[in-house]
Amino acid sequence: MSDDLKNSSQTPEGQKSPTAPVWIFALTLLLLFIGGVYFDRHSGWFDAQVYAPYQSSDELASYQPIAGAGAVLLEGKRTYEATCASCHGADGLGKPGQYPPLAGSEWVNASSFKRVEEIPQLGISGEIHVAGQDWNSQMLPMGAALSDADLAAVLTYIRHSWGNNGSEVDASDIKAMRALVAGHPALSGEAGLKAIKE
Amino acid sequence: MKTGFRIFLGTLFVLGLSWCGFVLGPVLQLGTQGQAAVLNSSDIYPNQRPGAATLGLQVYRANGCAACHTTQIGQDGVVCDVVLTGAGSDPAAVSNLISSLKLTGLSKDEADAVSGQITAAGGKSETHIVPVGPDISRGWGMRHSVAEDFLWDNPVQLGSIRVGPDLANVGMRYPLDWQLLHLYAPQSQVKDSMMPPFRYLFKVQKIGATPSPDALQLPEGFGPPAGYEVVPTEDANNLAAYLVSLRADVSLYDAPFTTASAPSTGTHK
Repeated sequence: MSDDLKNSSQTPEGQKSPTAPVWIFALTLLLLFIGGVYFDRHSGWFDAQVYAPYQSSDELASYQPIAGAGAVLLEGKRTYEATCASCHGADGLGKPGQYPPLAGSEWVNASSFKRVEEIPQLGISGEIHVAGQDWNSQMLPMGAALSDADLAAVLTYIRHSWGNNGSEVDASDIKAMRALVAGHPALSGEAGLKAIKE
Repeated sequence: MKTGFRIFLGTLFVLGLSWCGFVLGPVLQLGTQGQAAVLNSSDIYPNQRPGAATLGLQVYRANGCAACHTTQIGQDGVVCDVVLTGAGSDPAAVSNLISSLKLTGLSKDEADAVSGQITAAGGKSETHIVPVGPDISRGWGMRHSVAEDFLWDNPVQLGSIRVGPDLANVGMRYPLDWQLLHLYAPQSQVKDSMMPPFRYLFKVQKIGATPSPDALQLPEGFGPPAGYEVVPTEDANNLAAYLVSLRADVSLYDAPFTTASAPSTGTHK
């Protein structure tokens, strides 16, 4: 580079180099701050379920029906109809000669759910006596893919419907059971069920 | 070529940024949108439209209905009404209490406080969630439109100009027969309507040995000449079926409201 060019790009000595005034930076920061606050208050954090006039998922949740036994049963019914009803029937009566009923089943109505809760998690195959009849068929681990809460809800629904009268199953029970039986093979019929400690 | 590479990088960055905003963002937000659970029910929403209505969507599109009609309901806010459901053992005390309280148009916090007071006096109450806004007070809908409402529509035709009324819930307001009459002769049903007639969706034919069972029963002055009848084409039937299928009338998680049949959005016992 020649000296001329070098000199022309330099500021003559004694003069300040041109810089943007401080207030522009201050204003930019202020605008960014205001934008940030507006974003926080009105975006709903890009939650697809939050629409105006609701401003956050918390606010939306506060307008929802209070969760309770009724909500759990509805949730369980939905899961049951999607996962279980094709074999055990929407009325819980099963299919004669193929799939045992859940309505009036002594396994479902047992005072402890320690045995019945493992059936959807592990699956079961072999001979089993249900509601006065002998059955011999196979069930895949249909419930293994459900979340703790969904499996608990569907078990609660089964134990509360069609004249059944069992206690409620909580998501924490399912979590404990899953930790216990992880890696186990499918239950082998009635003998396998009876081997589980109630 | 150093500059060329920089320009390439800059262009890539700018285009990539807008791609993220216009494509990636919406897909992340709504790409997995599916049917949703209806509140206080084991139903899911929305069900796929009937076949004729699905074809009708394309007739709606072809005739540019979205140029004059929107299919989206706005909502300004939501208020709570506290409704007494049981007077308890001391009805006089509860009745005294509620006569001194404001029970409608409350915020959620106020409603909770009122329910608490009623519970303390021995009564039972329910909190009703009531969406409010100009569209809702016009009777055009019960709640704001949400993404689920358009799950089966391709393309989604929200519309942006309201020359005519919003159609998001038109299926709740008018039956199929009305839609056909209104499409053929809008002014026969709504006197001052500025909607153009869509007569080309209908056939005017000579009445044969037996009159067609589908012929429109038009009022005096709008009918065809004597000896002729007006019969809807398949397009008209599909379009009417689509219009009748437009009803967003269920309460969802993202658009909660208290329906008349299932008024339990938080029971205080």
